[in-house]
Amino acid sequence: MFEGLKVSAFLAWKAIQRGSKGTLILTIMIIALIFVNLVFLPSIISGVVKTFDTQSIEFDLGNLVIEPREGSQYINDATELQKKVERIPGVTGTSPRIAAGVTYFYRGRNAASTLYGITPEDERSVTRIAEYMIEGEFLSDGDTGAIVIGATLAGREGEEGGGLPTLEGVTVGDSVEVAYPNGETRIYRVKGIFETQSFGVDTAAFVTSQEMSDVLGLQDQASMILVKTEENGREDEYKTEILSYGIQENVWTFREKAGGFVDQAIQSFNIINTISTLVSLIIAIVVIFIVIFINTVNRRRQIGILKAIGIDQQIIINSYVLQVLFITGVGALVGIALNAGVTTYLTAYPLVFPGGPVYPDVEVSSILQSIASLFAVSIVAGYIPAWQIAREEILSAIRG
Amino acid sequence: MGRVEVRALGGVSLEVAKGEFVGIMGASGSGKSTLLHILGLLDRPTTGAVTIDGTDVLSLSDHRRTLFRLNRLGYVFQDYALIGELTALENVYLTSLVRGDPKEEYLKKSTEILERVGLGDRIHHRQSELSGGEQQRVAIARALVNSPSILLADEPCANLDSQTSKSILDLFARLNEDLDQTIVMVSHEDWHKEYFCRVVTLRDGLIESVTECR
Repeated sequence: MFEGLKVSAFLAWKAIQRGSKGTLILTIMIIALIFVNLVFLPSIISGVVKTFDTQSIEFDLGNLVIEPREGSQYINDATELQKKVERIPGVTGTSPRIAAGVTYFYRGRNAASTLYGITPEDERSVTRIAEYMIEGEFLSDGDTGAIVIGATLAGREGEEGGGLPTLEGVTVGDSVEVAYPNGETRIYRVKGIFETQSFGVDTAAFVTSQEMSDVLGLQDQASMILVKTEENGREDEYKTEILSYGIQENVWTFREKAGGFVDQAIQSFNIINTISTLVSLIIAIVVIFIVIFINTVNRRRQIGILKAIGIDQQIIINSYVLQVLFITGVGALVGIALNAGVTTYLTAYPLVFPGGPVYPDVEVSSILQSIASLFAVSIVAGYIPAWQIAREEILSAIRG
Repeated sequence: MGRVEVRALGGVSLEVAKGEFVGIMGASGSGKSTLLHILGLLDRPTTGAVTIDGTDVLSLSDHRRTLFRLNRLGYVFQDYALIGELTALENVYLTSLVRGDPKEEYLKKSTEILERVGLGDRIHHRQSELSGGEQQRVAIARALVNSPSILLADEPCANLDSQTSKSILDLFARLNEDLDQTIVMVSHEDWHKEYFCRVVTLRDGLIESVTECR
């Protein structure tokens, strides 16, 4: 058995070493590109999910969102609830928000979007919007008459929003009029403009809770309380923990708040990925089959001679399978290198999705799975043509 | 059209003694290659028996036949049948590798045999770098490396000029005498007869004559 494998390896290596270099390099490159295709799409899907999660947690919702109980528009005694939640182990920050759908007016232009009333210090303990100011400053706790607005809502002079709300050119220091749903209007001075690249956040604006409560006539009330936890990815456990403290309000994880959007997107991506994977693997099978088939048909007589001089059929078949394993192995290595290049490029120049910049997230499991599936199809595609020719009667093989 | 049954051989009975150099001759279609293929375990007769070194080779399984060919028989084909990617030395020691012989031993033995067939200075050359005569010498060395009970040669000079053919036949004769190597060779050249101990002439699948030559 071992001697046989040694001979197969000897024959395979000599064929690789002294056979056609052009065919060998071309085949390796095809396998490498198939490998890149197998790894690339899952890495983008994983990147999209990661971007969505990160953007949601860092800019939009925190890890968990507490909302008013059924039938209520606001959470009452928001401060007390906030303090209660902050005492729960694992909770690192909370930020009560008042949300209202408003219309903004600026130099004859208007845009409808969401305005949030926040406590700036609390907001800093949950989201990182304050770190993403591209102009001016974020709100401070005592601010009244000031607003910070998202880059998309602020817009640029002469540029339309393409369906997104935009005021086309607001800058720091400008005055923006806000019409509240209760009919009140206020004029605010723009204190800062932020850009998070999360379109839901960049189309919104913030004033202090104090300011918004005055306009809407609220007293220690909030539309939601965002909760930041110590660790990401354990939202379900924290949710259970919070509920166990007897909190009556609705508690949602950020994923639940997305209303299945991410799950649906992942499902759609996975269908595309499965089709792409199947096509790639079929191409791999066809390429390897053709290469080995042509190789063995051209060497039909040689295979007959090898059998005639006493070399077992399995040794001959294995020599072709080992050639295929070599081609696939080197192809996978070249593929890993190419993929590293593509990943490095896309990390420097990420793809821009509505949810934010998407960086390829190459998972080790995806690489291992791609390598395993490539090897599996390669072995089958190499074995069959070699077996077909090697099992032929010696004399008919020798006669060609 | 259905398949037409062709009786290539019928009623052939032949005994080859150890150390004999037997020539099988006859016109095209006389059955000489079929006889050689049966002796070489490359083909099975529909009836009859073939015994080599006391072994009834027709009763062997396919695997045993492969091992028998590997360990007890040596082949020289008309068109050399070397493996293009291997050097002369590698072509010769390939079967030793399958048998699992120690590396030092098979390298020494293969080199010695290549020197014996006159290719001591060409052992690292590949098929494309060798002349027809040199390629056939490599094939002979490959056939001899396992010290076979019978060396079977199927028209080994068919693709060679007369000068090179003579050198190959001289080599066969020398191996036959020096090593007491049994050789069965198919040929259709009359002048080859002088090299054979015995000539078996076939006609229409039957032995027409058996002539002692030297």
